Amino acid sequence: MTLSDLEPRTREILELYEQPRAAMLPLLWLVQENQGYVSQEAEAWVGRILGVARSHVREAVSFYNMFHTKPVGRRELRVCTSLPCLLRGAGHLMDRITESLKIGPGETTADGEVTLTEVECLCACEMSPMAQLDERFVGPLEGASVDSIIQDSLTEPGSPESTPEPDPFISTNGPVLCTRFKDPEGTWLDGYLADDGYVAAGKVLSSMTPQDVIDEVSGANLRGLGGAGFPAGRKWSFVPKETDKPKYLVVNADEGEPGTFKDRYIMERDPHALLEGMIIAAFAIGCHKAYVYIRGEYFRSAERLQRAIDEANGRGWLGNDIQGTGFDLDVVIHRGAGAYICGEETALLTSLEGGKGFPRLKPPFPAISGLFQCPTIVNNVETLACVPFIFRNGAEHFAGIGTERQGGTRLFCVSGHVVRPGVYEAPVSVTLRELIENENFAGGVRDANSLKAVIPGGISAKILTADEIDVAMDFDSLRDAGTMAGSGGVIVMDETTCIVEALDSASKFFADESCGQCSPCREGTGWVHRILRRIMAGNGRLEDLDDLLGIAGDMEGNTICVFADAAAWPVQSYISKFRDEFEEFIRSGRSAERKEAAECPA
Amino acid sequence: MPSLTIDGREVTVADGTTVIQAAEELGIFIPRYCYHPGLSIAGNCRICLVEVEKIPKLQIACNTFVSEGMVVHTKSDIAEDGRRAVLEFLLANHPLDCPVCDQSGECDLQNFYMNFGLYNPRFQEHKVKKNKAVELGPHVMLDQERCILCSRCVRFTDEITGTGEFGIFNRGDRAELGLYPGDVLDNPYSANVVDICPVGALTESDFRFKARVWYLSSAPTVCNGCSQGCNVDLHYVLDRPHLNDGARVSRIKPRYNPDVNEWWLCDEGRYGFDWVDQARLTKVRGPSTDSLETAEVTWDQALTTISAVLSAAGSDNEKKDGSRIGVIASAQLSCEELFLIREIFCGTLGARLTSSVPEEPGSSDDFLIKADKNPNTSATTLPGLAGPDTLEAGQLVDQALAGNLDVLWVFGHDLVKLFGEESVRQLSEKLSLFVYSGTNENATVPLAHWVLPSAAYVEKDGTFVNCHGRVQRIGRAFPPLEDSREDWRFLLELADKLGLSFDWREPREIFEGLARAAAPFDGLTYESIGRQGIDLATVREESQ
Repeated sequence: MTLSDLEPRTREILELYEQPRAAMLPLLWLVQENQGYVSQEAEAWVGRILGVARSHVREAVSFYNMFHTKPVGRRELRVCTSLPCLLRGAGHLMDRITESLKIGPGETTADGEVTLTEVECLCACEMSPMAQLDERFVGPLEGASVDSIIQDSLTEPGSPESTPEPDPFISTNGPVLCTRFKDPEGTWLDGYLADDGYVAAGKVLSSMTPQDVIDEVSGANLRGLGGAGFPAGRKWSFVPKETDKPKYLVVNADEGEPGTFKDRYIMERDPHALLEGMIIAAFAIGCHKAYVYIRGEYFRSAERLQRAIDEANGRGWLGNDIQGTGFDLDVVIHRGAGAYICGEETALLTSLEGGKGFPRLKPPFPAISGLFQCPTIVNNVETLACVPFIFRNGAEHFAGIGTERQGGTRLFCVSGHVVRPGVYEAPVSVTLRELIENENFAGGVRDANSLKAVIPGGISAKILTADEIDVAMDFDSLRDAGTMAGSGGVIVMDETTCIVEALDSASKFFADESCGQCSPCREGTGWVHRILRRIMAGNGRLEDLDDLLGIAGDMEGNTICVFADAAAWPVQSYISKFRDEFEEFIRSGRSAERKEAAECPA
Repeated sequence: MPSLTIDGREVTVADGTTVIQAAEELGIFIPRYCYHPGLSIAGNCRICLVEVEKIPKLQIACNTFVSEGMVVHTKSDIAEDGRRAVLEFLLANHPLDCPVCDQSGECDLQNFYMNFGLYNPRFQEHKVKKNKAVELGPHVMLDQERCILCSRCVRFTDEITGTGEFGIFNRGDRAELGLYPGDVLDNPYSANVVDICPVGALTESDFRFKARVWYLSSAPTVCNGCSQGCNVDLHYVLDRPHLNDGARVSRIKPRYNPDVNEWWLCDEGRYGFDWVDQARLTKVRGPSTDSLETAEVTWDQALTTISAVLSAAGSDNEKKDGSRIGVIASAQLSCEELFLIREIFCGTLGARLTSSVPEEPGSSDDFLIKADKNPNTSATTLPGLAGPDTLEAGQLVDQALAGNLDVLWVFGHDLVKLFGEESVRQLSEKLSLFVYSGTNENATVPLAHWVLPSAAYVEKDGTFVNCHGRVQRIGRAFPPLEDSREDWRFLLELADKLGLSFDWREPREIFEGLARAAAPFDGLTYESIGRQGIDLATVREESQ
């Protein structure tokens, strides 16, 4: 399709946004979907449509790593090499793929069939080691399935695929979030309504005031489940009541924290729960337009959530005058394009407005001046999916499930060296040991190995040693234990893990994903990673360890957002808790956990 | 109006003031790279970290708004540690190629390292490689490795010129500054990005490798490139002819003036200085007894002869309209000189005076660039100086051609360019005295009977009145080239020979006389004008 053929679709996209520039990512996606990549001509075309200098279009194209600036293969095989996949053999997987396709990462096969890309965490660690072939997630890629994915990648797009559909462990007993997770094909409007769906929204819209709603959510002790744990009701109360400006609800579905894969299940298996939560939140803050920012790699989540939005619009649960209550709410899906930092709420807003995903200076906070300089509440998918339960069963009930200061349950994502990686719902008072060892959850460390370390809340969280896991998983208990609950991503490492390699992998993630805005983070993440590469190559010096700690300390707390802190915490915690292993590695030039140094790639 | 304490000193500032601004009011300088008062706040460089009591983390002074009772420490150990850490990060991938960098000597990486860095560098890794010596346009070179990504230049082209050429592409430590591929940085204000670049990433093509900055002297003056009168600093080198290709003027930098040009200067003004050192008139020339060509004479010989002719022509004519003396003054002259011309030629000699010449208007915009390329046109229209004009230069030329003038004195204008060579040749033959005074060679010079070499505006003191009615002082950076002389100086000498009893000896005194004689200048002195200028009395009255 030529660019001018795309113009009618362009106009439809522009209508979804209050400001033209916000259509930046959707237009770039439109171009790439139709032309395979974003050419310079297309950048200029997008710039003209949006009234944005083409230099700024190119800034966006170069920032988000899913956009191609030159033609690529007919298919793209994106192989995850982040820590959770690495723990389960991503290195070996990549070797087999490169050997078989005879190309390296970043290259395209000679006949233009497939482009191989090495990517950071796709947040599908329950199926690790995994990859994404075009839009589809596949894994675990072990044994014969590796041959299948290679074979599939060489076929035309749309051909029947031989790689089996992933079948991970997912809890379905509830009580709050996973009760409709059973069907891999998802729960749709009729099924949702039959299961008391939209009862809560109906009650809120017809019989409650916004203040009642905020009070109820505050009473439920619902905390922000994206990672920060901020009380949700309090956040909603920050939106100014007296203002002429429109207010926005933005759903943070940019799930990106390595080791986390819960929001995807909500969007793919129970999307109406999210929509119902959004209606209630929108009512509480007086908002009539909501955006759901879904990470670019989550094609299926976006597709399924859109299907649910269409259903809800068709049956009067979204749009104008919802169920005759006079309340209006439009929901628009906005897709990211490959940048972890956009999960930071202000980076998400900058990205949604069409810029690079740069976190913003605070104050002002989004509740005062967020999207399009209007009051905005950004909530995580899981947080909002809890909300209908609160209004169906009462705040007290929800609060009673959790601890004194954090109500309800969480979807814990367990990955790494466990028997059954998967998504497990549990009250937030569950201990880390239970999640790892209990037969209803991850079923223990694999191969009867002994536990070495656990990251309890996504890769940013400080690591815990095997004897620190008798800790409850709520925000406060983990904070008291010197780490954090974060996104609920539990990454388990057994005795075979080389801790130096683990830190090298984590540091690569942060170096790849730093937005590059603040100097300490931009320079510090790359610096840390280069030191670790050198250590891995056998050229470490013992002084490097203190330098690493010093650099991490200098990054921490000195930047616009907490990404630099998140990059510093693994460095600080891995080295302080496993210093002997680091020193031994440096002295011997190789991993103590590996038979051959070559296992830790240089 | 909150009061706060910075480094133990209390200050009361307006609401909405940031810590970096409040500190400035106390004369406390907080280092900055990304912060620029003329641009939006980016907050990315982090070098302005300060300690604010009761806030656990260090805060960036550029985006921390003051509040009542706030206590700020800019020099405490933790504040200095924070800034030292930031500096080490900024220098981690910096190429440290100071010996071949034009910014060296005025680089804030060097300055801040010496001020509070002085750490032992820990960085041992390979540095990220990026592009060097990239020509961005006619005036600006980019070195991506030296760039610290502060985004000042990006914000300048977004917010000030609205041209949007710059972008920072990629992310993490691969982020790099550049233009859109194939684009050229040639907006009319392009070189301002060099001024605001705090490091050596953006440097001037024109100044490239010409001189180390520590050999340059600086003098404040006003750009003569158009009627806006942007304030500038003239950077020059006199005693090292091996530098800067032997020219005295090395470069021009904008000088902050909130009422005229803020921090900015157009490229046309910035690079319009070649004439100061090139094709200058440096010798006095007068009619030769043995040839048709003029010959070199002394100033005294020239002014003695000219004054005698003027006296004779002037004594015949009391009435201005019938005067046989014509003078074409110039809006390039200072107020002091225009005043002297009026006093000498109109007062006693009754000459017909104009400064109105048919010049083509130049390029202009709605920011700084004005179509009138003369710095002092406003003054020429003021009563008491050369104005108001009732006469056009063309009319004087016609009068001369018709045989109605004996004397014509032209200040700086190239009549050949304005009226054609044939007219000027005829006029030269008809006149008994045709004086040309000016700074540079042009086609009129060979046709004049007398050629008086004038000093350039950077070689003299004086004042200009810009298009908004603001009087501003120009300043003498260095003496006039060779035998050239300031117009005010030889006009005073001429007046002396004409027997006029002026007791002014220098521009400051001439200005005092002017201020007494011309109402718009009423009460003004060089002191009250200062280095930032002042609105004319008439303008001030209007605005009240």
